[in-house]
Amino acid sequence: MMRTLAFVLGGVGAAGLAAVLAISGTPTQAQQQAKATADSTTAPAIVDTGSLKGPRQPIFFRHDIHAGQLKMQCQYCHYSVAVSTEPGIPSMQTCMGCHLVVSGSDSSAKTEIKKVRDAWNAKQPVEWVRVHFLARHAHFPHQRHIKALGPSACTTCHGDVARMPQVFKVNNVNNMGFCVTCHLERNVSRDCSVCHY
Amino acid sequence: MSDDSSQAGMDRRKFLTVLGASGGGALALSGCSTSRVEKLVPYLVQSEDQIPGIATWYASTCTECSAGCGVHVRTREGRAVKLEGNPEHPVNRGKLCSRGQASLQGLYNPGRIKAPMARGADGRLAEITWDDAIARLAGKLTAAGGKVAVLSGAGRGTFSELLADWTGALGGRLVRWEPFDHEPLRAANRQVFGLDQLPAHDFASAKYILSFGADFLETWLSPTENQRGFADAHGFAQGDVARFVHVGPRQDLTGLNADEWLAVSPGTETVVALAIANVVAAAGGAPAALVGALAKYTPAMAAQETGIPAARIERIAHEFAAAKPSLAVAGGIGAQHAGATELCAAVNLLNFVAGNVGHTVRFGADLAAGDGYHALAQLGTAMGGGQVSVLIVHEANPVYALPRAAGFADRLKKVPFKVAISPFLDETAALCDLLLPPHHALERWDDAAPRAGVRSLMQPVMEPVYTTRAAGDILLATARKAGGALARFNAPSWEAHLRGRWQALAAERKEADADAFWHAALQRGGVFDEPPTPAAVTLAPTATQVSYTRPAFEGKGNYVFAAYPHGMLHDGRGANKPWLLEVADPVTKITWNSWVEVGPEAARALNVRNGEILRLTSPHGTLEAPAYIHPGLHPDVVAMPIGYGHTEYGAFAQGRGVNALDLLGAPAGEFVTYVSTRVAVEKTGDYRKLATVEGTPRQLGRGIAEAIPLAAARKGLTLAEAYLQEGHPEHELNTPLEVQALKGWSEKQFEMTRKGDYARTTPQWGMAIDLARCTGCQACVTACYAENNIPTVGEYDILKGREMTWMRIERYWEGGEEPGVPPSARFVPMLCQHCANAPCEPVCPVYAAYHTADGLNGQVYNRCVGTRYCANNCPYKVRYFNWYKYNEIAWPEPLQLQLNPDVTVRARGVMEKCTFCIQRIRGAQNQARLEDRPIRDGEFTTACAQACPSDAIVFGDTGDPESRVVAIKQDPRGYRVLEDLNTRSAITYLAKVLHSVEA
Repeated sequence: MMRTLAFVLGGVGAAGLAAVLAISGTPTQAQQQAKATADSTTAPAIVDTGSLKGPRQPIFFRHDIHAGQLKMQCQYCHYSVAVSTEPGIPSMQTCMGCHLVVSGSDSSAKTEIKKVRDAWNAKQPVEWVRVHFLARHAHFPHQRHIKALGPSACTTCHGDVARMPQVFKVNNVNNMGFCVTCHLERNVSRDCSVCHY
Repeated sequence: MSDDSSQAGMDRRKFLTVLGASGGGALALSGCSTSRVEKLVPYLVQSEDQIPGIATWYASTCTECSAGCGVHVRTREGRAVKLEGNPEHPVNRGKLCSRGQASLQGLYNPGRIKAPMARGADGRLAEITWDDAIARLAGKLTAAGGKVAVLSGAGRGTFSELLADWTGALGGRLVRWEPFDHEPLRAANRQVFGLDQLPAHDFASAKYILSFGADFLETWLSPTENQRGFADAHGFAQGDVARFVHVGPRQDLTGLNADEWLAVSPGTETVVALAIANVVAAAGGAPAALVGALAKYTPAMAAQETGIPAARIERIAHEFAAAKPSLAVAGGIGAQHAGATELCAAVNLLNFVAGNVGHTVRFGADLAAGDGYHALAQLGTAMGGGQVSVLIVHEANPVYALPRAAGFADRLKKVPFKVAISPFLDETAALCDLLLPPHHALERWDDAAPRAGVRSLMQPVMEPVYTTRAAGDILLATARKAGGALARFNAPSWEAHLRGRWQALAAERKEADADAFWHAALQRGGVFDEPPTPAAVTLAPTATQVSYTRPAFEGKGNYVFAAYPHGMLHDGRGANKPWLLEVADPVTKITWNSWVEVGPEAARALNVRNGEILRLTSPHGTLEAPAYIHPGLHPDVVAMPIGYGHTEYGAFAQGRGVNALDLLGAPAGEFVTYVSTRVAVEKTGDYRKLATVEGTPRQLGRGIAEAIPLAAARKGLTLAEAYLQEGHPEHELNTPLEVQALKGWSEKQFEMTRKGDYARTTPQWGMAIDLARCTGCQACVTACYAENNIPTVGEYDILKGREMTWMRIERYWEGGEEPGVPPSARFVPMLCQHCANAPCEPVCPVYAAYHTADGLNGQVYNRCVGTRYCANNCPYKVRYFNWYKYNEIAWPEPLQLQLNPDVTVRARGVMEKCTFCIQRIRGAQNQARLEDRPIRDGEFTTACAQACPSDAIVFGDTGDPESRVVAIKQDPRGYRVLEDLNTRSAITYLAKVLHSVEA
């Protein structure tokens, strides 16, 4: 199955290119090139946030800056993904660990970081909009998948979040076919009761 | 969890010394909570001990009765979701009864008082602020000038000490009271031994147990501990089985576990006890004065009084004397009539002459108790006489739990200012002027000293559900506000006060580091010293003043009325918790409503059948309730459970059934006599179907709950061998040729059904249930409700057979129909048998019911389309269908917070059943995979096996030859229910061992 999901970055980035990212299947040569380019550059400046894919979040938190440009490990924030069924959402304190000091290099970053600080000072946690849902009757133990696939396996389901200014759903993780395809490829359990109970 | 793996278990259970409360009170995300989460809300500050998706366990103490069991509270994402016993706690050793487990539904009870309330000028209660509430209380206390009284249901501990000091400083009086306070037992201990104490009872080492009405498996003293001991003594272990004889007018759950029942009319238990003591004393060794005092109570006299043949009494006496050590106990409805103190004194002497005191009866343990009814009666008189201006009622509900004729409500109304420190708007709180809702036990710091050598801690396991305060903080805040005599109570908070008390405790115990002592205690659940050496006990001069007064009951009716505490609802405090209402009464299997029990003879005389409504009239009132014919009830008695008929106490309790106490008169003596009146019984002509979860009350030869005579069990015979040895003709069993033919057929049939199965290299989960240990208490059922998010469906749906109880205890009556065959009962836990050759699987058109590779009978909710074919084809009736949107209606706010996030909440139209706690299996597999190791035997177990106070249930991998479950399954007593259907179930039952007279 070859599914190409693309999004166009609004405005002109540092490299001035419209990146087309293949998320699943074998990457084409062009995509590999784009990946290489993205790896070696800073995350693009974004002017038109309205055209970004995925739900708009209360704070324009950029995974492409944190995980991509700054190369922070996913597990720095999603701290429990390797030990628990739940990946964990960073506490506000985790954000403030850096943003007490880091206040942003441009006006848009400064605006967003100020929101984090304001929330922290007001003791009001940010209410993020959930992107990935799994039905209540399906249980997905994150830790087993990290154990089996390695710490960078997040992309397998969540796509290349390190290049997403705003997270959007790349794979319909709530579609059992998506799970089973992978389990078939790897010849691991397809027993219903592994996930459904 | 088995002992050998406790280390592994402890890894799973992380104990915290300090509650990780997040600053803003933000709730964590949950991947799988009950409603669709659309926002992910992070913590402001993440507690290092909270990991989403991983349970955090806290050690605490159960406060549902005075036994003081230790609990481990499982919390997920900042909310308590399950209570289990603390394996290190000396009282309950890892087990917990239904009532203790249902404490969770007290925490999340929709009927909780959400904030302080005061009665306004219009007579209505309205919410006020805490500052206002404390100011009002302080003002009234200052103005009361010492005319203050406090009535508290709190057990012994730091709070009780503080309350006593606080009340004393005000010049007021404190009464500590709870119903069934064992006043007669304490009076008898004073009389016979000169000790005002409640001793500990060692059931485990007793070789012969005589109970005079004591419901020690249900409510008497320390039920979970008693049950563990009883199962150890009475279960079949290495051929050694204690014999248990029950003396009393009614077979309660405890009585149904007896090997022999002496059906005596109420009040005559005493003469039986004296006659047995007489025989034992005469055999030698007893002081002459005692022998003399007992001499006139001959078995012949007892026979005359009770109708029990003298030879039978003598036989029991000789058996009792020969078994060393033995144990006699008196309580329950045996010790709730006017002659109760006489009975308890007689039983004390019986234990003394049999040499049990100091062995199975251990004074010095000093079990906690209240001040007794006497103190409450005095308080009532003072209230009625205008000597109380301010009354504070703390966690007690005397308006409900005392007979109406005692007039407590009227006296309460004469108190100008009444304050309730009560979590619920119960009958007493509803009459009060100021309501100060305290924290639930799971929300507060506290400790309990239920007996000598045990100091058990409580800690807040979560943020409070409502705007409540710890009762200790209420006292301290009031002291700060009122000043004056209370000014010396200057601890900054209740927590600080408690820490101070524990620092003093550390100093008393010469602990070098008080903080380390505190943290260790908190982690462990308290400090537990070795049980004190039994105090040396001598007979008091008054010991020989034994007596027997022929019972006299008030009124003219034909039947003696016995009100007894409901096994689930206790004194009525459980009536607001849906689990306790839905998990059936263990004896009658009736749910959600009152009933009146009549014996078979009385039923014939009255021409009454189950469900026909009877009107009972005593000198004090009239009640109507549907009849239930109880084979184990004395012909002269009608009995009714206490616990129903609340007029307040929240939506679950209100208007449900009748209050049995309404038929009783005002207590005349030192204690409430629950068996004191006669009633006239008549049929009203009305009928109300009993909401029972019972199917057929008898086995009808189906061999569901099997039993084997003791002698055969000792020889290691199988059920079939024992059957032949009993003299049954061989042709009733299959001939070897038939057996061979059947085997060939069944193998072939099994092979056919296995086509398409997975290769079986994974674990094969299985279970063994020892019916010789099972008492039918249903702690496992409640644990199953808690673990698996099972909805309570209510009385209406139970009447339609729509209960969802994945696990149930079936109670089958035996005997009691023809003369000469005494009634008895057998209990069998019934749950999905996870058949290897399951009848449910091939009939499912959508493969929702299927067999998993690890030997489970899987049920895939998202495949299920609700044809119910599987349930129709299940010979065990263990599949349950969601007829309604129970997922939306069964857990009214905030009860939904109790739900286990690891288990899907099933929707309407879906079939469900026992999963062998698959979420625990998968959880253990996930953990084992992370650690690159196989699952260890006993590393985890199912909720039912974990809860079972008798340790009757063992779960494990039957593919592992070293596992405990495999060892138990090889017992010759083993059988599978409906084995001839070739279902090849994964559950092996071990037949009950019948300890009949001949054995």
